[in-house]
Amino acid sequence: MLTPLLERTGATVLAVMEEAGDFAVLSGRTIGSIFRRPFDGANLLHQFQAVGVNSIPVVVLTSLAVSMVFAVQLSFGFKQFQAEGLASQVEGLAVVRELAPVITGLMMSGRVGSAMAAELGTMQVTEQIDALECLATDPIHYLFVPRLLAALVMLPLLTAIAVYIGYWGGYLLLVTTQGQSSVVYSAEFYKLVELRDLRIALTKGLVFGAIIALVGCWKGYRTRGGAEGVGNAPTSSVVTSSLWILVSDFFLTKLLLV
Amino acid sequence: MSVPVIEVVNLSKAFGPKVVLSKVNLSVELGESLVVLGGSGSGKTVLLRNIMGLLRPDTGHVAVDGRIVHEMSREELFETRMKIGMCFQMAALFDSMTVFENVAFALRRHSHMKEKEVQGRVEECLAMVGLKGTEQLKPAELSGGMKRRVGFARAIALKPKILLFDEPTTGLDPVMTDVIGRVILDLKHELGVTTITITHDLKSAFEIGDRIALLFRGECLAVQPPEEFKANPDPVIQQFLRGDADGPFLLDPPPPKRTPKGVNV
Repeated sequence: MLTPLLERTGATVLAVMEEAGDFAVLSGRTIGSIFRRPFDGANLLHQFQAVGVNSIPVVVLTSLAVSMVFAVQLSFGFKQFQAEGLASQVEGLAVVRELAPVITGLMMSGRVGSAMAAELGTMQVTEQIDALECLATDPIHYLFVPRLLAALVMLPLLTAIAVYIGYWGGYLLLVTTQGQSSVVYSAEFYKLVELRDLRIALTKGLVFGAIIALVGCWKGYRTRGGAEGVGNAPTSSVVTSSLWILVSDFFLTKLLLV
Repeated sequence: MSVPVIEVVNLSKAFGPKVVLSKVNLSVELGESLVVLGGSGSGKTVLLRNIMGLLRPDTGHVAVDGRIVHEMSREELFETRMKIGMCFQMAALFDSMTVFENVAFALRRHSHMKEKEVQGRVEECLAMVGLKGTEQLKPAELSGGMKRRVGFARAIALKPKILLFDEPTTGLDPVMTDVIGRVILDLKHELGVTTITITHDLKSAFEIGDRIALLFRGECLAVQPPEEFKANPDPVIQQFLRGDADGPFLLDPPPPKRTPKGVNV
């Protein structure tokens, strides 16, 4: 009775290790290909547009909604012991350190990572990736690298936008409906925030960008089995990258705050 | 005797328990046109993918210009692939790009041509496959036969020495099949390239091929000039040429043949 159980466990462990190894090798090859020629500027610009510019509305809306709802909760919570003034300070801390980078990362894994997985997955099952190989073009260099670079540049920028919008989300709520003075709010918002916190936020954006692009491309590249495979790739990419964003967020916070 | 341009030696490939190719031997001389026939699932496409280095053989090897494909480094493999034009079964055009961008793809990446020269070469390639004036269309706006021909134009853009065609006529009407056959012959004569064409369309096979090979259950049954191939007494070859369901070709017996009056026993 024990042997089949052990066998199954062993097989699962091996499968997980194989997946992890495959991801690591492809990621390594991607990073190794960044400086290889030829440099395809048009392709890179297209990715900047797809990953960055086109994502601004989503980031603005989510950041606004999250920062406003968080301000509601804070103002309600602090009112319990007559400390409403603290709401804007904690709002600033929360937005800069956690809400902006994590919400941006999660939203982008849904918007950008899934698109990468679906696009590369379709290319894989319609033999377009084989066609690239046959035209003497490394798919890693042609497909992975511009997506990774775009995510590495754009995620920190989008995080910065989310921080800025988060400030105005809190402002909208605390100043216009809770009657806090706008001068006090703008001073208090940044009171607990140090420059280091902004650096942490941008670093998180950078790491999340790498996770989103690499996982999205990897899941797409490894798509097998027609329509079902193409359907699974984005789902699997979003789940995997969201999970890694949340796990790495914990470790990044722990490491960078020390 | 000269060194064959493509040499397939004892090539075997299996996917799990399913043996797709088993000790296949083939060689193609410079300027020769080899046609590989075979039923669906007989390993024809796997053979081409091994030649392109997209798959790794289990045993045996494929050599292009005397160099073993699966032992090459990535860079050497890409260099070899620049000498080979591969035409995919479903064309495999990049659907986010226009016809022009598809054909210009390899030129822009691998040649040092100026944009004007690229434009000239793309027009030349499209004219060769009879598709002048389609540059700005997207692959989704093309018919099946046009897609294949754009695929051909993309494959010949870098002036390869070898052209591989993977079922170029499957799924096309008889007239378009003939057009594609003529395009392949044109390319062969105008460019003087060595070609391997995989097909199960007999008419175009005999028009295109200098030699015909038949793959059957992963093995290569015969490699002969068209006339000798037609006269080959092997029952499998004769059944394939007749296009008859009865015979040794199928593993599972086919359903009985019906006539308007009932089952013909």
